[in-house]
Formats: sequence, C-alpha cells, structure tokens
Amino acid sequence: MAHEPTDFRLPPGVIGLVDLGRLSRELQAIDEFVVQASVREAGKQPTLPRTSRNLDQLVKDNSYNLLRDVDRQELRAFLEAVRSRAPVIHMSFATADPSIVFLQKMIIWLRTEIHPLILLQVGLRPGLAAGCIVRTANKYFDFSLRKHFDQNKQVLIDMLQEGSVVSGG
Amino acid sequence: MQLGSLLLIIGATTLGASVAIAMVARPRHHKHAQIKPKAKENEKVYTETAEHDVEHIFNDEFREELRNRGRLHFEKIIGENAMFLQQDLRLTTSQLNDYMKQEITKTLKDEFAKYEQSIMDAKQLAIDSIVKTQTAIEEQREMLGKQLEEQITAEKQRRINRFEQAMAEIINHYVVSAIGDQIDLNDQLEYILSDLEVNKKAIIEDITNGA
Repeated sequence: MAHEPTDFRLPPGVIGLVDLGRLSRELQAIDEFVVQASVREAGKQPTLPRTSRNLDQLVKDNSYNLLRDVDRQELRAFLEAVRSRAPVIHMSFATADPSIVFLQKMIIWLRTEIHPLILLQVGLRPGLAAGCIVRTANKYFDFSLRKHFDQNKQVLIDMLQEGSVVSGG
Repeated sequence: MQLGSLLLIIGATTLGASVAIAMVARPRHHKHAQIKPKAKENEKVYTETAEHDVEHIFNDEFREELRNRGRLHFEKIIGENAMFLQQDLRLTTSQLNDYMKQEITKTLKDEFAKYEQSIMDAKQLAIDSIVKTQTAIEEQREMLGKQLEEQITAEKQRRINRFEQAMAEIINHYVVSAIGDQIDLNDQLEYILSDLEVNKKAIIEDITNGA
C-alpha cells in the first residue's frame, strides 16, 4: 500500500518538529523490538514498546501496520520527508505554554486551510497581551492586540479630541 | 609894481588883440576886399612892435613871474587833477568794490543755491532711501510675522499631535499592561483565526513560493 505525499495525514496531536522526532523515535523503538524479537532466545520475550496516541492515530489515519517492515519503512520515510520538506509556521503568543487543545484547533485550521502537512512552532512573545505574531519563511504578520491598538490609534486620538472639545466647550 | 605892469601889459595886449580881432572880423562882413590891405599893414606894425618890445616886455622877472605862476598853475592843475584822479580812483574803487561785492554775492548766491540744491537732492535721496528701507523693513517684518505665526501654529499642532500620540501610547501601554496575559488563548482563538483567514492567501503564497 503505497502512499502519495499528499495522501499522508498527520494527526492533530503532531504539531511541530518535536512531535515528529518523538514519532521517529517510537518507530525506531518498534524496529528494534522487531529485530530483538526475531533474534530472541527461547523463553525470553522482549518488551513491546508502548506507542503514543499520536503514533496510534498516525497509523490509523494512514492505514499502516506497524508490524510490517515495509509500512514502518514507508512511514519513516514519510516522516523524514515531512521533517525536511513540510512548511513550518512560527506563532508567538503572550503565554508561555498554550494548551494542547488550543494548539490542536490551530493546527487543524492550518492543515485544512493552508497546507495539509504544515507544522507549527510555538514561541513566547511577552507584551502582546493578546493575539499572536505569525512568521513564515519570508513574511511577518502581527495579529497582536498591541498592533491592533496601534492601527486604531487614530480612533483613540479622535475620541480624545472629541472629549477635549466636549469638555472644553 | 610888477603886478600892475603885468596887468597893464595883459590889458593892453588883450585890448590890442580885441581890436585886431574886431578889425579882422569887420571886413569879412562888409568890405572885405577894401579893408584887407590896411589890416595887413596894421598887423605888420603890431608884429614889428611886438618883436621890438618883446625883449623889453618878457624880461627875466616877468619870465620868472610867469614861470612861478605857471608852476603854481601847473601845481594847481596837478592838484586838481590829482584830486579828480583821486576822486575817480575812489569812485572807481567804490564801483569796483560794489561790482566785486555784486559779483561775489552773485557767485556766492549761485554757489549757495547749487549747494542748497545739492543738499536738497541729497536730502531727498536720503528720504527716499529711508522710505524704501522702511518699506522693506515693514515687508520683512510682516513676512517674518507670518512665518513666525505659521511656525508657532505648526509647532502648536506638532505638540498637540505629539501629546495625542503620547497619550495614545500611554493608554495603549496601560491597557496592554492591565490585560497582561489574563485573556485565555482559547478565548482568542476566534480572533486569531479571523486574522489568519484574512491573511491566508499571503501565507499560502509565501509557503508555496518561499524557500
């Protein structure tokens, strides 16, 4: 069962490169388990490594069987392809640790609207108060509340002037 | 004595001369042709008599007397002439003085008139220059006043704008600081997604065409 890159789906739990690395390590552990099982001595059963929910979801979404060497190799190759070629978008928030629910909602929207294999890298930017700053390879988008205030500063100035006129008159 | 002789001689001479003149004059009017030989004869007699007595009449004393009288007369004439000359000289000097005064006065008047005209011209030039300078100064003052007023207005507006900008910055800073990280990210999700939706096209283009 060969997959095209566009058919490959990343679960919402796989958000960034860290998650990809974790999946790769889990795959490597499974490979080692299979090798150990093939060369095991009689009466010794190697411990089956526990897989994460992300890996389970990944296997399930893409219809792989981790016990098959070909599927694991294909999955590893796809993960490497995603690591090397998938677009990465950086988002900085005012809080240090956005919740996993928030990040999953965000990555779902990004993979639905922007790119199916896009990865998200989260950063911290104190002083934003609210909103975020988005940075792609060549562009910079400021969606912060501070920027919103700056853009609407004239409204505040007009209101100040109106207030001064009202209070002065 | 001498004076009486002299007077006698002069009187006789005068009388003789008068008679001679009368005799000479008479024939001219009436019988000039008949009287003429007789008159010539008388004249001849008189001349001979005079020549004969000349040395007797005009002796040295008489000559000295005549010389003295002539000297006195000459001195008198010289004195009179000197007096006349002096008077003429004084008159001439006076006239010359008057003339010189008139000329000098006229020249001085002309020169003063020219000088006064020059002064008037210079004064007029100075007045014109002062008027021009005053006009230029007034224009410059008005221009500087306008510039100063414009600069004051611009500075006033600039300071007002700066105050408003600073006030806006202060309010922004205060609001952002007051909000801090109190707003939950889940509550911001809709806001962030709306911004992403607005810029979706640019993000896709950058991802597609980017490095």
